[in-house]
Formats: sequence, C-alpha cells, structure tokens
Amino acid sequence: MQSRKYLQLTLAILKPHVVKSPFALQKIRDLIIDNNFKVVRSRRTTISREEAELFYKEHRDRFFYNRLVSFMCSGPSDIHILAAHDAIVKWRQLMGPTKVYQAQYSAPDTIRGMFGLSDTRNATHGSDSTESAKREIAIFFKDFDLKKWHDNEEIFYNLGKLHFDPISFVHTIDRSYLEKQNEYIRE
Amino acid sequence: MFSTGKNYLKLIRGARILHLDSRKSIPQKPELKTLPIFQYPVSQEDTRRVYVWGLADHGAIGEATALYKDKISYLLKPKRLSFAERYKVTDIACGYGFTVYAVQSSDKNIVYGTGINTDSQLGFNEIDKKKFPDNMVFAPRPINLPLKENTTTKVIGMAAGRAHLLILTMEGLFTLGNNAYGQCGRPIIANENYEKSRVVHHIPNIKGSKITAVAAGQDHSILLTEVGEVYAFGWGADGQTGLAHYRNEHRPSLVKGDLAGQHIIKVACIADCVLALSDKGKVYGWGNSEYGQLSVKGDSCQVYIATELNLPEEIGHITDIATGGCFCMILNSAGNIYVWGYGILGLGPQVQKILKPTMIPPTLFGNNVYNRDIKVTKIYCGISQLAALTNSGDLYMWGGNKFGSLGLGHRNDQFFPLRVAVGAQVKKVACGVDHTVTLCKPFI
Repeated sequence: MQSRKYLQLTLAILKPHVVKSPFALQKIRDLIIDNNFKVVRSRRTTISREEAELFYKEHRDRFFYNRLVSFMCSGPSDIHILAAHDAIVKWRQLMGPTKVYQAQYSAPDTIRGMFGLSDTRNATHGSDSTESAKREIAIFFKDFDLKKWHDNEEIFYNLGKLHFDPISFVHTIDRSYLEKQNEYIRE
Repeated sequence: MFSTGKNYLKLIRGARILHLDSRKSIPQKPELKTLPIFQYPVSQEDTRRVYVWGLADHGAIGEATALYKDKISYLLKPKRLSFAERYKVTDIACGYGFTVYAVQSSDKNIVYGTGINTDSQLGFNEIDKKKFPDNMVFAPRPINLPLKENTTTKVIGMAAGRAHLLILTMEGLFTLGNNAYGQCGRPIIANENYEKSRVVHHIPNIKGSKITAVAAGQDHSILLTEVGEVYAFGWGADGQTGLAHYRNEHRPSLVKGDLAGQHIIKVACIADCVLALSDKGKVYGWGNSEYGQLSVKGDSCQVYIATELNLPEEIGHITDIATGGCFCMILNSAGNIYVWGYGILGLGPQVQKILKPTMIPPTLFGNNVYNRDIKVTKIYCGISQLAALTNSGDLYMWGGNKFGSLGLGHRNDQFFPLRVAVGAQVKKVACGVDHTVTLCKPFI
C-alpha cells in the first residue's frame, strides 16, 4: 500500500472585531473552505483573561502584551481546529504578515491585508509550529485528544468523507462510510 | 432573416394595440396656448447632498437598491445618496461598516443609521425584526434616542468608532453600542450581550460644563468641553485615553499632561493615536506611536499623557489636524499640508516611513499660476486614507484604497492627492474603514 500523507492540525482564532462584522466573517469562512481546510472543531467563546495570559505567555515582556490580552478578552472569538496538508504554513500564508499597517501594502490580498484594522486588531491568529498548535489546542479544546484523532478520525478528513454544517461551521465525519467499509471487510 | 421580420411585425402590432389602449384610458388634455417655462431648482444656502462610495456589502453605503438589484459589492465612484434627497442631512459620521446621518426633523427622529448593527451601535429599532434580521441595516432608519417630550433638540456633533457611537445633542451626549472597554462611558459589564440591546447611555455634561465636540478612536472616546478641556474614556492599552495609565476607564476623565492650562479647540482621532489642537495653534498628541506618529520623546511606542509635538518652527500656526492608523497630517494657516508617520503619505510612489513633518506641494491641490487663491481649508483621515478639502469645495484623496474607498474609480492605492469626481461642493468628509461619506452643497 502506498504511504499516505497525513493531515496536520492548526489552531485558528477569528478575533473579536471580525466576529462582529458579518461581512468579514463570511469572507474569511469562505476563504477557509475554498482553500480546502477541514474544520475539525469550532467554538465561539469570549476568551477569559486567564486563557489569554496562558495563550500569549511568550509575549509577556513585550510592550504590546497588555494590549493584546485586553483586546482578545473584549468580546466573543471564533476558535477553530483546522486540518489540511501543511495546515500551519498554509494558514499563516492565507493570514498574511502580523502587522496590518504593513500587510495592507505588502500583502493586500491576505486576510489581514483585507480585514485587519490595526496591528493588534489583526483579524486572525494561527499557530506557528506543531508544538504550539498542540499547546494552543489544549488550551481551548481541553477534551480534544490529538492522538485519538490521528488514529481514528484523520482518515475521514483526509479522504473527505465528511458532512459540512455551514451554520455551526464544522465538518463532521460521515459514519456511513465506516459502515460500508465494515460490510466490505465482512464480505 | 425571416424570423426578425416576423418579430418586427409583432412589435408594430403590439405598439398599435398599446397606442389604442392609451388613447382609450387617458383623457385628452386641453391644448395649451403657451408652453410652460421650466424652472430649474436653485438650491438654498442650507441645501445639502450626500455622496457615498466604498464597500457596500455591510450596508454602510445605505443604498439598498444598489445592493439588492445591481449586486454591487462596492462603489468605486461617488454616488448621490437618495436618502439625503428625502431628508435634510446636517451632519455625518462613519464607523467600521456603519454610517449615521443627523437630519433636521420636526419629530424625535433626528439621527438615522445604516450598516453593521451587531453591537447595537445603531440602537434597537422594531423595524429591524422584519426588515433587517441579521443585525445589518441596509438602508438608513431612525435611531431611537431617549429625548424629552416635544423636544426641539438638534445634533451638535457625532463620532463613531469600531462598534460604538457618540451623538452629541443640545440635551447632552448619548452613547450607543459596544462598551467592552468602557468606551460608552458606563461601567463595563462582563460578557454583556450587545445584540439587540436597547441601552442608550446619557451624559448630560462634564462637571457642569457643556460638551461642545466629540471624537472617537476605534475603541475609545474623547470629549471637548466649552472651557477647552479634554476628557477621555474607553480602551487605554496604547495610552490613547491620555490618563497616565494603560487600563480601561469608563468615567470621562481629564486628559493629563501638557494640556493643562491650554484651551483645546479640536481633537482628532481615527484609531489609537490622538492629536489635539489649541487656540494658539499648537498641537498635542498621545496614544499609539509605533510608527513615529508622536516622535517627541525618543522612540517610545506608546505615549500615555498629552505631549506637545516638537514641530519645526517654519510650519507656524496650525489650523487643522487629522490622524490615521499610523500617520498624522496637519494644516497650517498658509494652507499647506504636512504629513509624517508610515504608509502612503502622498510624497512619492512608495510606502514610506518619515519622522519629520513634510510638506505636500500645494500645486497638487490645484494651486498654480492660474489659480493662486486655491488653498486647502480642511483635512481628514481614515485608517489608511487621507483627504483634503479646498476653498473651492474640491475634494482630494490619496493613500490606501480599501474596497475603492478613495472614490477614484479604481481599487489601486493612490500615491499622490487626486481630485475625486464629486458632483457638488464638498463641505465635510467622514472616512470609515472601507467606505467614505461626504456632505456636500449643490453647485447651483
């Protein structure tokens, strides 16, 4: 059997100002789907101060730390686990450079170039490595078991055996595919 | 060939039937002896038109027909707003994806709003349930304010931020919308639901003195009083409230620093960097300075108290101020514009960072050997757009061109000031994040 290329997971956050702009939210969601990302988990929540402080602890000594944390806690955010081949790099490319005031000229067609308002209100977040993706997913999806997902569910997302719910914006796995497979094995 | 002939016959027959029908139904008019003289409407001194352009998808343009019928998602050129033909618009303000119009009215509906309403920044209105269920208002509709019975109050000033709105009336200041940082001037409630909220906060005055003007950053608010004092509240993480701390503050508080003893006549803010202008023509700044907007004290990224800007002496007396997201613009009494900071500033075909206030040649605003009297009288900024009005009523725009918000007929960034084809004398400009609204006076 040919070796299969596994999907990678990344954590994406659509920040408070995007969630409050229905137009921007829809465009970003369309971009996620059009770029063949699968949405493994979704939740909308107002990030608590504790969560934000834990999430951004590597920036603790930077001048913008307080600004970043108070912004992230200012209203509901949409948090997604996205799956794709090379999801981390792909999502970061789609987002564009962190600093919006520069991105609007250097990368105007990226999410931040289009929908960022300022360097802090920069529309979206994406993990920067597999380690931070793991760490960040654990903060917001406490019951999500990375290993279990790779063992049991990755195949469905990889083969596209999924249902998509555009309202709650999440892909769920198509269990009927599993049954068919089992029948096939039994025969 | 044959079929077209057939069609032609059909057309003639149809036209004849129509003609016969119309003869039947419409009574014949008595013949006129003299033809009527058509009188062109001549505008009054206070007649106003509104021209709008930029992104239309969120409804901030307020032309529902353009959105539904023509499926235009953005307008690249100025469009005359039909709402302003039916109502007497006196003032305008733009926030992130929403627009508000103050109108002269005999009833309580003195402010109309259109655009994004997810944080109830346009207030709660029963009409929305039926007409605009998704928290987006696609045509201007009244904003309900708790005004006194039989009131004759008028709007004095308005300002809009990312998701909050300040309406200054003769009955005091009303604030609506998002209060996550205290930018509405009332205590912050954790996890408050702003959707379909009826909350309107009222600030009658500041310690007895009348509020004379309002300004709003993305998430903070600034008030000017009749004695020339400046009060701020809302998000302070960049020092944009000027209160010598970086916390949120919901009580309107006196800005600290060099403003003490000065009479401030104007405050300008669009994002997180604030400029204030004194009656002596001096400029003060506070807030975000990551791109050298307030390069007064070394290379500090955040300035948390009002600080006098160390401007070159030759600039002289300043008459107007404006700030963008990462740059500043000032106008002196000679009518010359100076810019500094980061972005497309109008000084050449590049995105640049300039720390020294630099003049944009006045010829770019129409001043030349044939028109020696033309000069800039007012300046405005969006987050990345810049705009200047001349004494001839011409509007010039340049800078970043998000969704055609410069109104130049294309979506490319504009590197030097270019006149916008508005069919009237422009009196006031309001820049949103991705749309622009102008209040104009007809030519005739």
